Amino acid sequence: MTKGNNKNLEELKKEIVLERLRQAPLNIKVSFGNLDGNFLNRDELIGEVKKDTEIGKKIVEIQIEYLRSFKKGLLMGE
Amino acid sequence: MACVLFSRPEHDGTLAYLYYYSKELVKLSTDLGHKTINKEKEDANKKTITSIIKQHKPNLIMLNGHGAPHQVCGHKNETIISSEENPEILANSVTYSLSCSSAVILGPEVVKNGTGSFIGYKFDFALGKDPNSEAVPAKDKIAKFFLEPSNLLFSSLLEGKTVNNSIIKAKKMMRDNIWFLSTTDKFPEASHYAPFLFGNYSGLVALGNQSAVITNS
Repeated sequence: MTKGNNKNLEELKKEIVLERLRQAPLNIKVSFGNLDGNFLNRDELIGEVKKDTEIGKKIVEIQIEYLRSFKKGLLMGE
Repeated sequence: MACVLFSRPEHDGTLAYLYYYSKELVKLSTDLGHKTINKEKEDANKKTITSIIKQHKPNLIMLNGHGAPHQVCGHKNETIISSEENPEILANSVTYSLSCSSAVILGPEVVKNGTGSFIGYKFDFALGKDPNSEAVPAKDKIAKFFLEPSNLLFSSLLEGKTVNNSIIKAKKMMRDNIWFLSTTDKFPEASHYAPFLFGNYSGLVALGNQSAVITNS
């Protein structure tokens, strides 16, 4: 895979995650890797992803792995 | 009698949830007859915790706190154990680090030269919160899906199960909770929390001795 294709794939993953986060209610609250211990709401989660922060990159990673888990059947049939 | 040490800071919103949920583990440890040393809030500091570990050599340790690949912290985010400074003091204990990503670098350093085990997370530990709970953990219908598997893991260790057995039980509950959050129509926001719990599920690992148990010393 070329460097350009990799970049496109990463952008696509980010867009998928942003679209999923946009579907969430505004007031969801998640604490995820922030040292101040504050909970982030939907728009703050979206902001982290848009800005490609370390937290944002991790959000993309776990959201994509979560979607892949269905393909792998990791969560089904338990 | 096994010796069990708890480090339970409470200085921010996330840690207040870990503090609340681990209260029942302190009680269980006491009820089971273990020598239970509970250091909470400002007592969850480096000087106190490391001196207890060196003096009492606990069989089982729970470290709540913020973390990073190379460290786990206590009150006001003071580093308690780091891979550069003092990983060896945990080498012969079973340690559960309920913190972000400390299983990446610190965990392998801890188990390198000992007979113990280090249980922790390779990714950031995520915690979902019910926005209608008014930050009262007891009322929170979301946080329990994240923290009950963690409590199951530690209570299993307290009851003398092996590290491997305890991890299997906790992961099973996590999968059940992820599936429930992904599919329930009882509350509309549930499915949006599931990927974050999946991150905890896939990041939870036990390093070192998988057969370790709390032994009577």
